[in-house]
Amino acid sequence: MTKLMTATPLEMALLKDLPRQDPVRQRLLDHGMPHRRVEEWKYSDLRRLSGPVESQGKISVKSARTLMSVPVAQKHSPSFMAALALSLGDEGLAFAVAAEAQETLSLELSATAGRAHKVLRFELGKGAKLTLHEIYRAHAGAFANILIQIVLGEGAELIRVIEQDDAPDALLVVTSDIELSPKARLHQTTLGAGAKLARLETHVTHQGEGAEADINGAYLIAAERHLDQTTFVRHCGPHGVTREIFKGAARAHGKGVFQGKILVEQGAQKTDAQMQHRAMLLDERAEIDVKPELEIYADDVACAHGNAMGHLDEDVLFYMRQRGLSEAEARTLLTESFLLDPLERIPDEALRTRLLGQLQTRLRGQS
Amino acid sequence: MPAVKETIDDVRQLEADKYKYGFTTEIEQDMAPKGLNEDIVRFISAKKNEPDWMLEWRLEAFKRWKEMEEPTWAKVKFPKFDYQDAYYYAAPKMGATYKSIDDVPAEILETYEKLGIPLREAEVLLGVEGAGNTTAAEARESDTPTRKVAVDAVFDSVSVATTFKKELAKAGVIFMPISEALQEHPDLVRQYLGSVVPVTDNFYATLNSAVFSDGSFVYVPPGVRCPMELSTYFRMNAQGTGQFERTLIIVDKGGYASYLEGCTAPMRDENQLHAAVVELVALDDAEIKYSTVQNWWPGDENGKGGVYNFVTKRADCRGKNSKVSWTQVETGSAITWKYPSCILKGDNSQGEFYSIAVTNGHQQADTGTKMIHLGKNTKSRIIAKGISAGKSDQTYRGLVSIHAKATGSRNFTQCDSLLIGDQCGAHTVPYIEAKTPKAVLEHEATTSKLSEDQLFYARQRGLSEEAAVALLVNGFCREVLQELPMEFAVEAQKLLSVSLEGSVG
Repeated sequence: MTKLMTATPLEMALLKDLPRQDPVRQRLLDHGMPHRRVEEWKYSDLRRLSGPVESQGKISVKSARTLMSVPVAQKHSPSFMAALALSLGDEGLAFAVAAEAQETLSLELSATAGRAHKVLRFELGKGAKLTLHEIYRAHAGAFANILIQIVLGEGAELIRVIEQDDAPDALLVVTSDIELSPKARLHQTTLGAGAKLARLETHVTHQGEGAEADINGAYLIAAERHLDQTTFVRHCGPHGVTREIFKGAARAHGKGVFQGKILVEQGAQKTDAQMQHRAMLLDERAEIDVKPELEIYADDVACAHGNAMGHLDEDVLFYMRQRGLSEAEARTLLTESFLLDPLERIPDEALRTRLLGQLQTRLRGQS
Repeated sequence: MPAVKETIDDVRQLEADKYKYGFTTEIEQDMAPKGLNEDIVRFISAKKNEPDWMLEWRLEAFKRWKEMEEPTWAKVKFPKFDYQDAYYYAAPKMGATYKSIDDVPAEILETYEKLGIPLREAEVLLGVEGAGNTTAAEARESDTPTRKVAVDAVFDSVSVATTFKKELAKAGVIFMPISEALQEHPDLVRQYLGSVVPVTDNFYATLNSAVFSDGSFVYVPPGVRCPMELSTYFRMNAQGTGQFERTLIIVDKGGYASYLEGCTAPMRDENQLHAAVVELVALDDAEIKYSTVQNWWPGDENGKGGVYNFVTKRADCRGKNSKVSWTQVETGSAITWKYPSCILKGDNSQGEFYSIAVTNGHQQADTGTKMIHLGKNTKSRIIAKGISAGKSDQTYRGLVSIHAKATGSRNFTQCDSLLIGDQCGAHTVPYIEAKTPKAVLEHEATTSKLSEDQLFYARQRGLSEEAAVALLVNGFCREVLQELPMEFAVEAQKLLSVSLEGSVG
């Protein structure tokens, strides 16, 4: 039924890029690019939104530190976009933190117009600590597909902060695959703006016992942009903790998507998982679609998700205007205070200050 | 906990008694040949002496059904059902219609008595008490004042008896089998049939459109508050049959109706198919309350047999200020695929969904609701309580969609799941879509297990483990139980306890 009838120009180009015997090519032939009939892509139709991307593009990675070039080990991935990056990402970049060591790494990933794929791999040894700051920039006409693989050793800690800049005419898919060993700690925060289509997809697996994951995000979607934040957390070991807090706002014709899935396997007793998403529609014709999902096979767990969507409180707005603020100022201030929460939880002070500043700039730039 | 083990063993021995509706009634059946083709559709239509347009409608549905594929998105696993290996029409052999309740074969009346549906007594006793030795009847003995309930009983493919018809007619309310309504009020049926669930809505609904044999039809005229509860009892009896009932309820401007539905089936080691369609239409200021207690045979402890319950229920709040409230208690069926929905078209219309779903043994349920907000200031409220035990799997799947024009709309959703035992699964899959800044949506979901402290406390007070679990589960479901009409609420509470027997440990 999902057989590809007529390939889109982007699909045609990708079919040419992929070697004949590559199984990903067959997947593309059979199913096409992810589209709304594919459950995980229900609200983000990559197939429909992707126009022709004629040329080959490039993703450059700027960093003060040296990343090692490594060949991409062909590895199957259930995610089509990840598999595509593994097939077409010419050379991979890797960064390793030795056991008990501490590192800070800042990366700027810019995609030029054209088709480009990249695979990055980070490994944290036992008890290692890494503060990782990623900035994603995609230029007009880019179709950038990036796979980030992260492995945290036992007791390792990762503070990961992601900034996604506004990219009106670009398609950007970042798939992160994070494995947590026992007692590992992940603290991830994203600040997203959207693109023609931007999808930040994060897979976290609690492999061992007692790992903790904080996955937070704030987003402010400008007019006509589309931002999809999808998280999939799998608890395989017992005593795992997951906390997710996402807050967002969307402007006219902007579309926000939040999909969060928490899977608790039979052996993952005493899992404590909570997920919150709250959003505001700032203008008419804005849209936010949410799918928080729990799939639970263990009985001694505490799992919850909540979602609330609405608008700025008119009473509060009125009060602020009484105090002499212009309506625009009052709205900006209220939106800012609404979106602060996930960013204020960033443990690294410098990065926290930076992202809070970013949020302010983005808000002021739009109003 | 050895005491628990004992309880489990005791209950296991009682397995056969657990499902007290598992008997069959030996009556002569008039059956259509096995299988499904155009001739069967014509056969059913001819049996019912239907007007030509109805036959055309069915044939069109059948044509479309042949091109459709069975949906696979629900989180349920089952061997493919062979649609050619089932009977699509089975009726007690006694002539198609009954002039009065006395003409109904005694065996059928007995069946209903066993089920606690006292058709025979109804006209005499003005109510429902004292009808034999069943939960329903016991429940009613206690404290309920005499309440009138009009009953339409559907046995396999035909409606066998409808009570209180005369009294309802006095109020102007039409309550009759849909096959009769097609004869007596063809225009009404034609106007509304398929207007809420279109013929090609989904695989099962389309199948139902082609082969439905009976069901209830209700029309409440403008300004009339239906003087009594309306009720239908569905019973699958014959072997290898499917039941495809079709219910159509129309409440005209300012009217009100409360409708109850109950279902059971005999214990068989094959899978029976139940693919019903229920359509509700609420016009301006009208209100419909629809309550279901679904207790189809869930299959034995090894997951063999049981009913496939693939049902399409939808309400159209067409008029201004209209309101539809769905309440369901789902304890039966091997597989449930059911999403009673509300289309909130009229301004200020309201939709409600209250649900308790219990799965035990090898049961699988994928159930929830859809609230589609189209009109201004529309409101919806969803309270879903899921309890999984044994080796069962349960999913809440729901959609709340607020369209751009539905300004001032409001939704509140709460889904709570309870897991009893570590072999079962409980899942929540809500879809929430907002397209206007002038709406407020809230959603909460939790999954947890029975609190050890509460269990301990209840046991300290002298309750057995089973009784303690039943008490806590009833507390967990309280918000939904409150929404059920009195008689149903008591029955539902007992049903919850029975369904969870043998699940502790």
